[in-house]
Amino acid sequence: FRYTRNLVDNGNGKFNLMILCWGEGHGSSIHDHTDSHCFMKILQGNLKETLFEWPEKKGNGEMTKKSERVLRENQCAYINDSIGLHRVENISHTEPAVSLHLYSPPFDTCNTFDQRTGHKHKVTMTFYSQFGERTVCVSTRRDASH
Amino acid sequence: HTLLAKNNRLGGPSSLPKGLGQAPLARSLRVLNLSGNRFAEVPPALLQLRGLRSLSLGGNRLHGIPPDIQELHSLEFLYLGGNFITAIPPELAKLPSLRYLVLCDNKIQSIPPQLAQLHSLRSLSLHNNLLTYLPREILNLVHLEELSLRGNPLVVRFVRDLTYNPPSLQELAGRTVKTRNVPYTPSDLPESLVRYLSLASNCPNPKCGGVYFDSCVRQIKFVDFCGKYRLPLMHYLCSPECSSPFSSASQSSTSQSESDSEDEASVAAHRMQKVLLG
Repeated sequence: FRYTRNLVDNGNGKFNLMILCWGEGHGSSIHDHTDSHCFMKILQGNLKETLFEWPEKKGNGEMTKKSERVLRENQCAYINDSIGLHRVENISHTEPAVSLHLYSPPFDTCNTFDQRTGHKHKVTMTFYSQFGERTVCVSTRRDASH
Repeated sequence: HTLLAKNNRLGGPSSLPKGLGQAPLARSLRVLNLSGNRFAEVPPALLQLRGLRSLSLGGNRLHGIPPDIQELHSLEFLYLGGNFITAIPPELAKLPSLRYLVLCDNKIQSIPPQLAQLHSLRSLSLHNNLLTYLPREILNLVHLEELSLRGNPLVVRFVRDLTYNPPSLQELAGRTVKTRNVPYTPSDLPESLVRYLSLASNCPNPKCGGVYFDSCVRQIKFVDFCGKYRLPLMHYLCSPECSSPFSSASQSSTSQSESDSEDEASVAAHRMQKVLLG
């Protein structure tokens, strides 16, 4: 019902390599990258990436969009916290999308942001599968993929 | 069992064969994908596919959803994202097995409170529409695991001056039938009135016990998720004299939300906090 994160390789603890599968209309929240490098390559379909400025410390208004673009098959993108925050979405209503993500160093928590207010909320990220095996989620806290 | 016909040019009057309902396909077809076509309305022939579990009409040109969608009573998955839909018929809530409902990227201005009757609903996608508030009944969707609301002009400040349309004679008669338990059978009334009576909503004021159909007083209340995310929920009351279970005199909403924490609504709101997708 949401996009899935599927871990492929954990690079002996140095990085996480994962494949994300996005159904029609699936999108992520606005999130940061916990001081890590993030590479993304589109393997199938298209994904729209919208970049946002970090909200002001005591920000209480709508977050500022910096730019947006649609990444096509085989295109790559990079982001880290000094560049900003982003939301990634499959805006197609007819085609699923698949992307390959590399995070170094690996991280399993990040902040998600409410676009209307800039308020952030720390979340734990989970995997739908790891190395081809389905991961059963035990956590009862709200989680956010990616 | 599966028919995939996406990304074609279907949409004209004879796109689907009229005899579809009589064909063996009517009972055996489970999955139908007509996304990326040119349908301006849900083809009536489609509504005869009683065995259908999954229907996608994403990325078409639909302006509405026919009430007869309720005929697809095996439906579990309904994808209507990326159309021009402006309103949701309450009859959509009559689909007992619906688990996954996608209405994103449309022009929907309000959600009928009856949608809370979708007991099986696990995932509701409403992002990128024209919603300014949600019905408070949305908190009743106990099995909901995902709800997307971004890209809607949800009100963030208390809204004054919400208009009240006095009830019609039909509404007043309907209320009396329901609250006094006037017995009736489908043979007593025209079908349209039987349907109308089945759409009664209960006034949320526990001391009232009344019902309403279309005419009600609207009051926006903010349900606060630990000070981080305020969702405007519309409370419908059956008349201006009926007081909200949550009300106290003050109209300054910031202190109101604290008083919500004693309500059963806040328990539901806590559950909803886990469900909201950014």
